[in-house]
Order: sequence, then structure tokens, then C-alpha cells
Amino acid sequence: MSPSSVQDLSGSRLRIFLFMAWRNLWRYPVRSLLTVCALSGGLAMVIFNASLMTGMTRQMVVYATEVSTGHIQVHRQAFADDQDLYATLPWPWLEAIEADFPQLHVAPRLYAAGLASTTETSTGVMIRAVDAERERAVTRMLGQVRQGEVALGVIDETEQGIARYGVAVGAQLARNMRLAPGDELVLVTQAADGSIGNALFVVTAVLNPMELNFDRMGVVMSLEAYRQLMFLEEGFHELAILLDDLDQLEAIQMALQDKLALLEQQTPLDEWGGPVQVRNWKELNPAVSEMLAVSNSMTLIIGLIIVALASLGMLNTMLMAVHERTREFGILMAIGMKKHWLLVMVLLEALCLSLLSAVIGALLGSWLGLRMEDTGIDFSDMMPDGYDWGGIIFEPVMKGWLEPSHVLYASLMMIVVALLASLIPSWRSIRLKPVEAMR
Amino acid sequence: MTLVRLEHISKTFRQGDIEVHALTDINLQVEEGEFAALVGPSGSGKTTLLNIIGGLDSPTDGRVHLNGTDVTALNESQLSDFRLFQLGFVFQAYNLVPVLSALENVELIMVLQGRPESERRERARHYLDLVGLGKVMERRPSALSGGQQQRVAVARALASGPRLVLADEPTANLDSDNATALLDIMHKLSHEEKTTFLFSTHDPRVMERAERIIQLRDGKIEHDKVIADVQAQ
Repeated sequence: MSPSSVQDLSGSRLRIFLFMAWRNLWRYPVRSLLTVCALSGGLAMVIFNASLMTGMTRQMVVYATEVSTGHIQVHRQAFADDQDLYATLPWPWLEAIEADFPQLHVAPRLYAAGLASTTETSTGVMIRAVDAERERAVTRMLGQVRQGEVALGVIDETEQGIARYGVAVGAQLARNMRLAPGDELVLVTQAADGSIGNALFVVTAVLNPMELNFDRMGVVMSLEAYRQLMFLEEGFHELAILLDDLDQLEAIQMALQDKLALLEQQTPLDEWGGPVQVRNWKELNPAVSEMLAVSNSMTLIIGLIIVALASLGMLNTMLMAVHERTREFGILMAIGMKKHWLLVMVLLEALCLSLLSAVIGALLGSWLGLRMEDTGIDFSDMMPDGYDWGGIIFEPVMKGWLEPSHVLYASLMMIVVALLASLIPSWRSIRLKPVEAMR
Repeated sequence: MTLVRLEHISKTFRQGDIEVHALTDINLQVEEGEFAALVGPSGSGKTTLLNIIGGLDSPTDGRVHLNGTDVTALNESQLSDFRLFQLGFVFQAYNLVPVLSALENVELIMVLQGRPESERRERARHYLDLVGLGKVMERRPSALSGGQQQRVAVARALASGPRLVLADEPTANLDSDNATALLDIMHKLSHEEKTTFLFSTHDPRVMERAERIIQLRDGKIEHDKVIADVQAQ
């Protein structure tokens, strides 16, 4: 057998190193178990934290989109900037977009400012007119009912034969005006034709807090009721769009821009309303979008800190293990063990320890994450109406979301950091000369 | 045939500002098949000389030739291979890997050599049988007596098929009976396996078994006496 045949590090040699590494781990079981506990506990915390942050950001995205905004909105520039009543998009465009993008859910909306009065009080309100059926397909706004049942159609007629439409109002507005389902509400506004529009409505539902402004001032009515109040027939102010596949956001946004440019060529718009804007939810809610970016970075930084701290346990264990076995390493080198084989053996020991910790930590972390997904943390005692972030009101229950890729990446991160920590003691082991090590 | 040839070997250590001459101008030849003892009091240079012959330490001056190879000219990796294939070692104590059984300890060196599994297993069992440990080969070192552990070390040293076995005070930690038994085994295997043994000792019982006694004092060879003619046996 020639010495050159011993250059490789495969097969039986690797097997016995692995075997020795595994057995060496259990020479001091308490120490190894403590290290496994530190590493797996750290990993479980990282996964738990990641699931909490992911849950929070998902909740944010859902609230920022599905509750009221949608994934994409289309406006005229003048409406986006100044809520210009006349900056509308033509009604035929709605059918054209629906025909070209059957995979999208679209909901037209109209807005106006007005004054709401009851027999006792009056206050400024923001009127939002929706097509209830389309709106339900895009947002959950009409499903967020605190009191009553949303009915936006004709409820009854006055003695003069004028139809009374139903409206839904924001929770804070209802509280301020002492409104409850069944109460009458008079809305006065300046109509599109310059006249004073006013009508009597019936409150059918009080909606849960969703957006700060809407909660304080929001009144939702049907498109038909809006037309009768505002005498505005030409078009709609806003098109809210929901995608089934959020990964398509940018592509759909671009396709919509192209389509709208084409429609504008065919039907030129008035000049004062300005160009058509197609904005996605990140552009519409920059605060939430920035928060998402920050929370992703925070998750990574917190994860690295926890894993690095836990890896100090690994460093200590491996330093002790190498220190205690200096003589043994010397004997192994004396009988012909090459230094890089010794390095592999010590690293395999660290690898066994970190793999074991990764499995336990991943299981524990996943269990905690799933528990968070299931039950969450309920802050409703402290914040019964939820909390506000960037004008959006979030539920007071913080729910987790376990992302399998996070479990995988966190485990890999832990294994890599733990192995890096074990490089120092491993390096020490091979810097020894056999005769010094055996002394 | 000469297996080991030492030419003007000197070794000097520095201890602070003081130079310690551990070995001074040692010239020595060991013939193939010899069962030779390096003897002398503590500090006479026995272990240093064995370490230099085994490539575990390098001389300050001089050359070591082993089986035609200039050991002093080898680099670290070549020395590892050289020790793995040409030499067997038995140390004073703690020779064995504690997490491996006696059988696995003997096999380990052959795994490092890259021998096939069936051959490893067969040779390991054979040598453990030869040193009288056939019935306890599955035990780990902690379940073996000191004498048994040293016998496993001898089996390991021989199983790798070395040209020379270097044993540094192999009986130092053994009682009289175990020391005698170990020496008997080493002596017997030296002849049966035609393997050269060079061991250090200051134990008179061990010296009695040696066929050649090389007496060291203050790092120099004081006497070199052949007691029995190995070639004649």
C-alpha cells in the first residue's frame, strides 16, 4: 500500500471520524446536553420571533390591502392630490378593465365630503360610495360589522315618496353622533352641479375600525344613493383592485398602465383631472411598506444576535473538549493521523452537536410558531379597538405565521454560526505538535 | 540488515536562558528484528531519542535513516504517512481512544491506512487474540485493566504492519506481573512477526528481557551491549 493512497478522506475514514465524533459528544453528556439546550433554545427563539414578525407583517399587508385599500388603486392625479370631485374615470373603463383582466377583482368607488346631522348633533363626514357586490369581492370593508347588518339599498320611502337608502358608518363616528342601526341620518353636501344636495338615510350598520379617518368620519353608501345625492353621473373616483396572486403585483400594475394608456388614447380625458395614476399598495401605504422592510431586517438581526450568543456555548464546549483531549490528539497524530483529519473529526463533533440542536430547535420553534398561528397574543384588554399604524387600524390580536423557509434558513444559520464558532478550537487542535500535545 | 541508523544526533532545548543538551552526538544502528532496550535514569534522553527516531520530534543536528528513508528530511505530511505505515507506537499510558472499543482501537490505525474493512477486522481480531484479549475485545478502555490496555496498544502497533515498534516505558504504570506478561508478549511477537522493537525503560525486570541494552546517560550512549544474538534465534 503506498502512502499516496491515504490522501483521500472518504468512505470508512469519514465513517469512523463521524462515529468517534458522535461518541465523543456523549463523553460528557451533561455538558453536551447543556450546549444542545442553548443552541436549540436559541434557534427556537429565532423561529418564534420570525413567526411573530412574519405574522405581524402579513397582518399588516392584509390590513393595508384587503380591509379597505386593495392591492392596486387607479385614480386621476387631481383626485389623488386634492380629492377633486370632478376628476373621475369614465364608467366604460370599468367594463373594459374587467373584460381584459378577468382574473382581477375590481371595485369602483366615489367620494365626497359632507355634513351629517341627527336631531342632536352634526359633524363633517367623508362619504364613500361603493358597489356592494364588487366591493365585497375586493375588500372586507363591508364585512367588518360591529353592529347591525350592512344594507345599502333602498330601505323605505318617506311620506313624500322619496327613497331612503341605508348607510354604514364608522365606529368612532357612530359613538360621537350616538348612532345605532335604525337611526336616521341627514347628509348635506355640495353636489356636482353646484346645488346643495341633501337626503335622509338610515344607518343599517356600524363598521369596525379599519382606517383612522374612516373610523372617525366614514359613511358608506351605494353608488345609486350617491348619484341621487351628488348628481355625479360621469364616472368614478377610484378603482380598487385585488389580485389573487400577489407575486404578480408589479406585472399587473404595468399591464394596467398599458391598458389605461390605450383607453385614454381611445377616449381622451379632460385636462384638469390630470393623468391616470396606477399605484400599488406599497405606494399607497408607504409607512406600512417601510415597516415591512424594517421588520425583515430586524428579524435577521435579532436572529443573528440570538444565534451568536447561543454559539458561545458551542465555543466553550469545543474549547473544553479540545483542551481536555490534547494528549489524545497527540497520540492520534503520533500514530499517523493527519492534521486535517483531526480538524475534520473535531468539526464533525461540532456538526453533530449543531445538527442535533437544529432538529430539536426547529421542532420546538415550529411548535411555538404554530401555537402563535393558532392562538396568537391577545391585547384586547389593553387596546379593545386595536392599534393604529400609518393610518390603518390593526386588530388587537397579534398572530404568528410559520414560514417553512424561515425554519430552514434559521436552522442553517445556526449550524453555520455554530460551526464557525467551533473553528477556533478546531484550529487549536491542529496547531499542536504531537510531542507537545502528549506532554 | 540495518533498519535504523542515527548519525551524530544532537538535541538541545532552551529553558529560558539556559541551553539543555538532551542528546549529544548519538550514533547508533539498530538491525532488523532486534528487541532492544534504551535504558538509563530519568532525564538521560531516552524518550527524546525515541521521539526523534519516530519523527515526533526533530534533532538539532544529525540525521535519522529508517529503512533507507532520511526521516529528518520529511515534511509534516510525509512524516504522518511515514509513522502510519512504517512505525508502531506504544506509549507509557493513555494510549487508547477512550470512545472506541479495544477492537475499534486496533482497527482505527488500519482505517487511517485505508485497508479494506474485512482485512481490518480480521487483523484486529488476530492481534488481539495474540495478546490474549480475544474475549474482551468489545470492551472500551475504561473497562480494561492497565495491563490489558497496554496489550491493546501492542496489538494496535503490530496490526498496522510496521517495520519498527517504538515503546516508551510501556511498563512504567504496570505492576510486576502485568509488566512481565506484557514484555513476554512483546518479545514473542517480535520473533513471530519479525518486527523490530526498540523500547525505553529504567525497570530492571524489563532490561532482563532485552536482547540488546543501549545505556544512555546525560544524553550520550554510555554502553551498547548485545545480550543475545537475534540472528541466531
